[in-house]
Amino acid sequence: MKKADTLIIGYGNADRQDDGVGWHVLKNLAEKLGHTIPEDPGASIEIEDELVDLLFILQIFPELAQTISQYKRICFVDAHTADIKEPISWKTLAPAYEKSPLTHHMSPTTVLSIAATIYGSTPEAILVSIRGYYFQFDRELSQKTAALAEEATDRIWTWVNSSL
Amino acid sequence: MVTEKITIEPVTRIEGHAKVTIHMNDNGSVDHAYFHVNEFRGFEKFCEGRMVFEMPSITPRICGICPVSHHLAAAKAGDRVMGVEPPRTASLLRELMHMGQIIQSHGMHFFELAGPDLILGFDADPAIRNVVGLIGADPELTVRAVELRAFGQDIIYQVGGRRIHPNFAVPGGVNRAFTSEKREHILAGLDKAIETTQIGIQVIKDWADANIADIEKFAVFHTGYFGLVTPENGLELYDGDIRLVDKDGAELEHFSAQNYLDIIAEHVEDWSYLKFPYYKKMGWPDGVYRVGPLGRLNTCDKLDTPLAHQEWLTYRQINDGKPVYHTLYYHYARLIETLFAAERVRDLLDDPDLLGKDILNRKHDFKGEGVGVIEAPRGTLLHHYWANPNGQLERVNLIVSTGHNNWAMSKSVDSVAKTYVKGPDVQEGMLNRVEAAIRAYDPCLSCSTHAIGQMPIAIDVIDSKGTVAKTLVRD
Repeated sequence: MKKADTLIIGYGNADRQDDGVGWHVLKNLAEKLGHTIPEDPGASIEIEDELVDLLFILQIFPELAQTISQYKRICFVDAHTADIKEPISWKTLAPAYEKSPLTHHMSPTTVLSIAATIYGSTPEAILVSIRGYYFQFDRELSQKTAALAEEATDRIWTWVNSSL
Repeated sequence: MVTEKITIEPVTRIEGHAKVTIHMNDNGSVDHAYFHVNEFRGFEKFCEGRMVFEMPSITPRICGICPVSHHLAAAKAGDRVMGVEPPRTASLLRELMHMGQIIQSHGMHFFELAGPDLILGFDADPAIRNVVGLIGADPELTVRAVELRAFGQDIIYQVGGRRIHPNFAVPGGVNRAFTSEKREHILAGLDKAIETTQIGIQVIKDWADANIADIEKFAVFHTGYFGLVTPENGLELYDGDIRLVDKDGAELEHFSAQNYLDIIAEHVEDWSYLKFPYYKKMGWPDGVYRVGPLGRLNTCDKLDTPLAHQEWLTYRQINDGKPVYHTLYYHYARLIETLFAAERVRDLLDDPDLLGKDILNRKHDFKGEGVGVIEAPRGTLLHHYWANPNGQLERVNLIVSTGHNNWAMSKSVDSVAKTYVKGPDVQEGMLNRVEAAIRAYDPCLSCSTHAIGQMPIAIDVIDSKGTVAKTLVRD
């Protein structure tokens, strides 16, 4: 996929309630772009558009480095827990490897680091994370996170259009 | 007398799925160590009330690490519940997708998770002991490694039409036929994938030659071994009966997965939420066994692809033809399986039935109960469903791969901690070896959430009064 210069990557598990907020934000953005996506939360999203490309994944993986290396701007969208105080956290990212000692878990900065090292590409990157409150086996966001998802969508939409 | 407790707690998911506690003696040596799993078992409840045909699309969301394994195990359980045999073309396509999963998962594990320890050293600076550090050490190999995983992922995509959340296998078959264009596309990348795997095998063999002293004292213990086999006891990853062998390789059981409850039981310890499966006849703990690459290569008598079989013969020479019991050889076994999977891809692509159009058997003979079994990258995965006559699930039991290895992982942690950890001033390299003992099994502990807020590894040294005497933190 590659149609635009900007890629938004939502990731998380939409079956674990607020963990899947990235999917809901992407769905909102897809609707703003006039694209229809399945109602089933967590379904695949891979949309190419003139303005922005959208990709939803369950988790970040190494070869994503090749994808992001083709873009000028990347926005990662994820949930966060109480360790981060802001309801919506907006961070500029720089490539940096973070080791995950026991799992296949990979962070946005890690995949940026691989993109920089292997492909020599360092796109402008941000991480927008949204406070999650409940992580049960449920496909509905909690009310508080759903409201934050709407707000985050608007802010990301502004960011997307800011480069035009 | 136990005076201190060291806790290694990587909270990379919401639940904080696992931690290691190391209990120290007065003299600074390790008294004992535990590997605790706080696994969330709620997924089985989540599935109750669902329709059996929904399960192949629901269960891949258990985690993002082996979604294809859950997808296919669910479809196979659905075959049994519905009493339907998939057409041969459908079974070939399911297996092809599974080989993609084996290649991508094993490739990522060796080159990106375990490889940096082996190639750069357990005691290397943690800041460079990772895949980026590996790029500095061997850029060509690292690029190849990323490509190998992408190749496996691409097979999944070509077969299933989706990069995530496969919606391909259904009870009775699959919902998408294959094309000659996709066949050619996969074939085009196959030789390089095999070549990269062979390079990896040489890397691990060279490493083993140079580090044999470590290998022979790193989590070395006997168990039984458990895995699927072909009718002729060849390595099998997609289907077949389960074979259980003892530490010397003698067959203990050869049984259909439908009867697993007659063969294995689960032990409970109060320090772990994850149960400990064992062989019923031998009892607990004598009946413990290992699954995954080491378990499978110790369980089978041959591999039915030429290059992998040749490498397996070399592997089995390590212990004079008997099962290899050194935990670090999991890595070697994993790469041999990767080679097998890649060769199996060629076999499947060469099978003319792969392009057949008969992909779904709609003639059901409803049974109401069924077990689906598959060899996930990290070991045998069992899905057991009970459905009412409407096809709605009333009960679900999942025995995940990592569960089978629960005892072995804890034993490995205990063994490595006693061998390498000297306290109370615990060094990073010591802890890394303890983590590496777990990493060798490539456990899947993530039942699925990964919100930002990842905490570093905290190592708490706690005295006998419960006071934190020292805390080490590593990013």
